[in-house]
Parts: sequence; structure tokens; C-alpha cells
Amino acid sequence: MKDLKHLIYFENLLQEANNELVKQAKADGKRAIGYTCYFMPEVLLDLPGCFSVRLRAPRCTSPDIATYYLSGRVCHYARSLMERALEGGYNFLDAQMATETCTATCRFQEHLQQKHLDSVDDMRIIDNDDFFCEFTDIPFKNNENSYQHFETQLRAHVLEPLNKNFGIDISDEALRKAVEEHNEVCRLINEIGEYRKLDNPTITGYEFHVIQLVSLACPKYLILPYLRETAEEMKTREPDLKKNFRCKVVLAGSENDDPDFTKLIESCGALVVCDRFCYGAVESRVPIVLDESKSVLRNIAEHYLKTSNCPRFMPQDEMRARKQRLAKLAKDYHADGVIIASNKFCEYWSYERVIDTFILQRDFGLPVCSIEKEYINSASGQLRTRFQAFVESVEIKHIQEGK
Amino acid sequence: MAKKFDVSKMKEKLAEKKNGFEKTVTELKANGFKKNAHDFWYGKPHTAEPGGRRLGELYEDKTGLLKHREWRGVKDTLYYMYMIWGYNYVHMITDILKYSNNPIDFIKGTWRYRWMGQTYLPVIHWFERGLQGTRGEAMRASAWHYRAMVSASIQQICNFFNADTRLHNGAENDAYKHSIYANETTCGTLFYPFMDEGYKYIPIEMIPYFVTCHVNSHTVLNYIDAVQSIGLPGDPCPMCQAEAGIFVLDDVPDASPIVITCNEACDASVSTSTLQDWFADKPLFALPIPMQFDDPLVKKYCMKEIEEMWKFIEDQTGAKFSWDSMVKRLERQNKLQRDEWEKWEVASKTNYYPINGVAQALFRIFSTQYGIQGDFWEEASEKVKKIMYKCVEKKINPFPQTRHRVIAWSCAPLYFSNWCTWAYNCWGLNVIINMDSLMFDMEIRTDSYENMLEDVVQYHMWAPMRRMAVGGMHHIFELWDYQKKFNCDMVAMYDQLQCKGMQGVHGLFEDEFRKRNIKAFWLPHALPDSRTVSRAEIRRQINDYMSTVMHEEPLDPSLLDFDDSMTW
Amino acid sequence: MKKCKCRIAKFFLKFLGIFFLANVALFVVFFFDLDGKLMFNVVEPFLKKHYDNMERKDTLKAPYEMNKFPKYDYET
Repeated sequence: MKDLKHLIYFENLLQEANNELVKQAKADGKRAIGYTCYFMPEVLLDLPGCFSVRLRAPRCTSPDIATYYLSGRVCHYARSLMERALEGGYNFLDAQMATETCTATCRFQEHLQQKHLDSVDDMRIIDNDDFFCEFTDIPFKNNENSYQHFETQLRAHVLEPLNKNFGIDISDEALRKAVEEHNEVCRLINEIGEYRKLDNPTITGYEFHVIQLVSLACPKYLILPYLRETAEEMKTREPDLKKNFRCKVVLAGSENDDPDFTKLIESCGALVVCDRFCYGAVESRVPIVLDESKSVLRNIAEHYLKTSNCPRFMPQDEMRARKQRLAKLAKDYHADGVIIASNKFCEYWSYERVIDTFILQRDFGLPVCSIEKEYINSASGQLRTRFQAFVESVEIKHIQEGK
Repeated sequence: MAKKFDVSKMKEKLAEKKNGFEKTVTELKANGFKKNAHDFWYGKPHTAEPGGRRLGELYEDKTGLLKHREWRGVKDTLYYMYMIWGYNYVHMITDILKYSNNPIDFIKGTWRYRWMGQTYLPVIHWFERGLQGTRGEAMRASAWHYRAMVSASIQQICNFFNADTRLHNGAENDAYKHSIYANETTCGTLFYPFMDEGYKYIPIEMIPYFVTCHVNSHTVLNYIDAVQSIGLPGDPCPMCQAEAGIFVLDDVPDASPIVITCNEACDASVSTSTLQDWFADKPLFALPIPMQFDDPLVKKYCMKEIEEMWKFIEDQTGAKFSWDSMVKRLERQNKLQRDEWEKWEVASKTNYYPINGVAQALFRIFSTQYGIQGDFWEEASEKVKKIMYKCVEKKINPFPQTRHRVIAWSCAPLYFSNWCTWAYNCWGLNVIINMDSLMFDMEIRTDSYENMLEDVVQYHMWAPMRRMAVGGMHHIFELWDYQKKFNCDMVAMYDQLQCKGMQGVHGLFEDEFRKRNIKAFWLPHALPDSRTVSRAEIRRQINDYMSTVMHEEPLDPSLLDFDDSMTW
Repeated sequence: MKKCKCRIAKFFLKFLGIFFLANVALFVVFFFDLDGKLMFNVVEPFLKKHYDNMERKDTLKAPYEMNKFPKYDYET
């Protein structure tokens, strides 16, 4: 396939958190608001006057000082973020909108927070006088009580602090505008992502991963022109005549902001056609539909609780339904199997991976490759062997089925 | 094939025994009549000087069994024999008769469930490990805490077996219909409204997992291995691994029509529920604890969730919420809390508190988590108070060799919860209080439904280990306040290697210890898994700290290094 | 009468003797941790063997129906 016009530019944008577009937005006088988890509604951080940056720590392979603070027994992602923060890599942030949605990232964010306690010294990791870190309580369920609670929390811990500290307009009008812009990003990403459903897709999983990540890590208003152009370009992009993959897979699992991981899978012959992991597009790029009978904020609160497939959700029906939804994704994207990857030390996904591995194979007939990975993996020979073996097993299955 | 009789080994053993006997005779001769008579009457003194007691010499190599029990002097030995050893053996039988609908079920259950057979019988050795070296009031009072825990355990076991369909040919009897299964981390308080009607709260994992680890640490390894055998990595919290493992190994009685799960204390607890749901396959209600529990805005949300849980129970079982049932038990619970405060007052301000570190921690965590479902907690508490006030009045110091008053922080190693007993015997480290005791630290108002609910929410949110281990930093670093309050000069910092919450504040604690010049030692462990960090390794870490940093000599050098790798 | 008293005394002495011997036996069991040794060396290995060889349900074959249970949502 012909290279995408902006792919190299996008790749460069992902080399560091404080990338060219972030710098440009800051120069435009906008406030940079960091976050780590899907449960922090990105759209609220993209209100006029500020922009969201989903934190990443690319190329962080040796988080030594962070290991002193968080120990070597919490996930590499949290430690990498901490290390990058300690290195000054997030000093551009004006605020961190924190969530205790997993223990490791919670602890990282607590270190950023100025707690003003007598019992422990604050660290002032982010060298920015305006910086503050605010925690929002995220519900574990998607029931009426949780929607109400989430709305209250978002108002008290996201909107009001943004307004109080930076004078951000948090009116319904401003929210609607943010939703509109957010939905356009969603529309473009979904449009680009749809090509993965083709028999011979005109976009690779790696390319899509890069595009999805820039949409999370860059100010929306600055990345949108590039996304529009890419979506246009996709309309005429021709696939390679000969399929250069041996099977198609859904990649599911925990935090993954490393496109090289997707590249590693694809280099073994498995084309990643769907990305259901933290930082993936399956949930985060579902457009927000506003129900006019409810407030905009309530709509947003409901949207994020209803769309999440996070194993953090506890209700019985939800625990079971998300397996079904994953199987449906495999069907919708014509995938031959599923790769479930959990980060080492990620407790949620360690368990979810186990049960997915059994149920998807047994009850849905989907081949599953179940792996544990680190935050940065591209050099992993072991993983390569696993993926190659998986691809072969899928091929053998196809032969046996006479496909 | 029959085991071959090894003559040379037998000869070795006999020679060893002969040597031991000769050594004792020589020692007795050397001591002279006066010292021998004194030792016989009072037991050997707790001192490093020659002639002091050497508890380490009582252990058989590796197994940790006792060559013989400690001679504590005439009075204490006889008290221990009749009022602790004998009394508890007898009560292990009478409690079964008291709580079981049919004692045959108890036998059937013992045969069916590994956690039951392997755990119930060595219970007295659990007492032994926790009470070793104690004398007088310390021994008597601490034993009452153990007694209450055994009674509560037997009640729970009977609740399981009375209702278990597997022991009743699949029949869902009345006991089954009146049982409510909940994660062990869902506090018993939440189920008081249904207890007047005969409903029982059965914390699913409290006996199969939690109690088991303390009594016989071998059992739980089967469950950890079972869950890892289906693909779970070894790094999630081993407590949660074991809680899922009992389901994987099909070792959970089928004793309730419903299940309540909870996210206390951490991410892994939430995840465990996914496996539990699969294997239990029953109507399940998920009860969340808000994470940011200091935020006043979360209370309303949590209140509603608890009320929804009550509705779920009503809906599924036909039970009716009873305010009277709730209040009655809450008042008893409050009284127990006030008793505890009374005890803490003595513990913090004097040297007369007669409960040792392990008895304090386990009693408190067990009683608050299980709640009021019998009178064992109150009975033990009254007896302990009586002994405590005797100590106060007569100025008896139950731990006279205390060199350091220690506060233990974070989650303790379940397979070596008696490290406190060892630490006192070996180094004079007296653990006065611990983090687990300090959670649930409140009374619940009973003057109105709204006040009650508001307090229950707070209570629920202050559960172990949510409040301090995984809660916000404000609570984790309450350590300094409690250290001051309990007048402790040293901190034992538990280092649960797989607790992401505590690992995530490791560095800050190091910084604060240095800044505040606090004497603190880290105690690495893996909660129930004695294979990750052995007991010997834990002891070595403390020994190293005490000798190289504190430059102290042990009170009992025989306890410094011994091999108990195979012990319960 | 004398004979009767003698009998009572004899019975009493016998009772005392048995009581004493029982206590000595109990003390021997207690002091030498014979209960612990019995549990550790005989009872536990026997039970372990039993539990290890027990036929157990293959829990991984347990059904996992997607729509078996409703959403438990209640008005409060």
C-alpha cells in the first residue's frame, strides 16, 4: 500500500508527550489537562480554552527513580509515567484530572498532587505554579445511582476546578461545542477504522493505532485537519494485491499506547483489525449522542459508563456481557482470533484475560492468544514466538475447517 | 510399599535424645537446688544471661513441632494445660454441638473440604505459636482472644455445613435458604437487618482462606496453585488469588442461593469476582465502595448502593429489612467498640495492656469483619477487660522485657502473624497496635435510619484494607499520629510484595522515615504465600535490623535462627 | 457399716487413682506435644492424601450463560 501522507508526522508526534501540537496549543494560550484513564471523560478536558492529553511515556525503558517511589512491583506503565514526570516531561501540564480507576495509576497521580498534609511532604513533581491535580470518584456500575453520582463528581471535580482555576467556560453551550468537536474526531477515526473490516483491509493495525493515539495525545482542534485529510486519503487508498497477512485478530486487553506492539503482532502475520484495549478506539471513539431531556453533563456521564468495557465494572450482567461484546467485535471485524494482552502487574486484566481465554474459545469458538506484556515490548523475542505460533494454529484450524 | 525402617536414623535420633537428656542433667546439676526450684516454680527467666529460657531449643528441626511444650512454672503450665489446651479442645467439640444442626454434617464436611480437614485439627498449635513465651496475665488474656476466634470460626463452619447442598444430597434446606454469601471483605454489619429472621451472613472466604492461612499455612497453597494453573499470573495479590482458587478447586460449599461481592480492598478483589461469578453461577449483587471515600459527595452514592443491596436480599430471599434487628446488633457492636477504646487507652498510656500483638490484631480484624453473630466477642472482651484492670490495679506489666513499643503498619503476613510473639521473645519488641486494628474505628448512630445509614456507609468505607492500605495518602500516613498516640518508638512496616497500593507509597515512607528519624524496619511477605518470603527470611530481616542498626543483643539467642520451613 | 465405709474409701481411692493417672497421661500428651505430633505425622498426611486423590468437578466446564441473570437494579 502507498504510505499514508501524515504517518511519519503522526509517528513523530508520538515520540513525546509535549509534542509539536501540544506546544502550539500552549502557545495559543490553552491549558493542557492530563489524564490517564478512559473513565475521565476526554470531552470535558477539551472544553474551549483547554485541551486533553492522555498521558504516555514513550521510550521509557528504565524507570529507576520511579521504581524507588512506586517499587518494582507495580505496573511498568505507572512507573514509566512517574519517571517521565520526574524527568520534567509533563511540566507543560496545567492540571491532572485523576481517577482511582486502578491502584497503580492512582498512586502515580497521588504523587503529583499537592496534598498539603502534615503527615507527608508534597513532591512538586510538575514544575508549574498553576498545576493542580484533582481526583474524581468513578463508579463501578452502570446503574441510575452511578449516573447521578458520576455527574455530581464530574461537576465538582472536573468542571468547577477548571472554571475556578483557569476560568474555563463550563456552560452547556461550551459543553455542546466540545461534544461536537469530540464527535467529529470520533466520526473520522471510525471512518478510517471501518477500512479494517474489508476483506483485504486498506489500513494496517499499526497505522490505525498511531492515528488513534495522536487523537488522544494531541489537541483536537490541531489534529483534526490531519485526520480529515487522512480520512479523505483513505477513500482512494488501494490495498496490496497480495494479502500480506495470514490472519486477522482483535487485540484486547489492558493499557496499550505502544504502536510498536501492534507492529510486532503484524510482523508475525496477524493483522490487528480491532483495538479493544485502554487507549483503543472501540470505546473512546463512540460518538456522544445527546438526549435533550437530560443535561449535557448527565449525557456525558452516562455515555462513559455505558460504553466502557473495563473489567473494573462489577455487576454480574456486565461481567458476562463484555465477553459477548468482545466475541461480537471479532465477528463484526471478520477476525480469525483474539489476542488478549495484559500488562504485567495489572490485576484487572490478569483475571479478565484468564476468563476471556476460556470463554471465548469454549463458548464462542474463537482461537485466543493470551499473553502478558510489559509497557514497552517491541524487542521481545518471546512474544514474537508466541504470536507466530498463534498464527500457525489459526492457519491449521482454517485448513482443518477446509477454508 | 511399606516404608523401610531406617536403623541408622533411629540410632541417630536416640543418640540425640540421649545427648539432650545428659545436657539437661548437667545443667540441672550446675544450677544448684535453689535455681532449679525457682525455675520449676516460676519457669526460666526471659533473659539472655546463662540460665535463661531458650525457646528455640524446643522446636524440632523443620517441622516446628515441639520436642516438648514450654515449662512456664507450675501455675502457668497447669493453667495453660487445663484452661487453654484442654479447655479449647473440649470447646472445639461443644461448639460443634452448639452450632451444628447435625454433627454428622461436620464430619462429612471435614472429609469433603481440604480447608476444613487440614485446618481444624491443628488449631491448638496455632494457639501455641501465638502464645509462646507468654506468662501470667498476658497468656490468660491473649488466649481469650484466640478462644473467641475459634468459636466464631466453628460457628461459620457450621453455618456452611448446615446449609451445604453437597452434604445434603443436593437438597436446598432451610439453612440454605437463610444463608447470605458475601465476600469476606463485605463487613457483617451490613447484614444485621436480616438476622432476627434467622438469616446468616457467611463470608465466603473467611474460613476457607483467611483463617486457614493462620492455622495451617500449607492449605492455601493448593488454592493459589489452582488459580495459577488456569493461567493467572503470579503477581496479583495472593489473597485474591487464593479467594478465586478455592472456587477453581471446587472447594466452596454450596450454601447460599445468592452472592454479594465487593470491591474492598483493591483491584484484584473486583477481578476475583469475575471468576467467582463463573464458578458460583448464582444471582450476584455487586456492592461497590467508593474509592475517594474522604469526599463527602460519595456518601449519598454509597448509601444508595447499600440500600439496593438490602433490596436485592429481600427480593431474592424473601427476607424483610428489620430496623430492630439492625439496632439491636449495632448497639452491641458499639459496646464492643467502646470496650476496644478502653483497652487502647490502657495500651497507649501504660505498660499494663495484657494482649500480645498477634492476639490484638487477629481478634480485632476478625470481630469487626464478621460482626455480631454470637456472644463470643463480647464474652472474650469482658474477660480481657477484667484481666487488664487487674494489671492496672496491681501494676502488673505483662510484657516486662519490652525494649521497644512497636506499631505495625500495613497488611500483616497471614502465615506468620505470630511474628510479634517471636519478636517479643527474641528481641523484646512489643507490638502494641497495628493498622488492621485501627480500621472500623467508629461507633454507629442508632437514633435514626438516616444517621445509621450514613455511619454504616462510613464504616463500610473504613474497611480493611481500604482505608489505609489502598485508601488515600491522608489515611496511610496516619501512622505518625497513631505512633504518637500509642506511645511507640518503633515501626514495623509490613511490605506485602504484591499489594500495589502499599508498594505505590514505598518511596514516600522511606523519605518520611528518614526525615522524621523514625526507627523502622521493613517486613517483606506475600500475605498467605509462605513460599515467596519464608518465615526464616522475615526473622532474618528483623535480626539484621536489630543487630546492625539498633546494635542490640537478643533476649533469647536460640530464636535467632531455626528452621521451621515445614511448620503449619 | 465398717465394710461399707471401707468400700466407699476404696472406691474413692480408686477414683482418685484413675483421676491422677488420667491427668498424668494428659500431661504427657500435653507436655510432649503428642497431639501436635499425631496431627502432623499421621492425621494430616492421611487427609492430604485423601484430598489430593479426591475426584473433583472440572470447574472450567461450568456453564457461563450470558443472559442468565438480569441487571439487579432497584429503586431506593
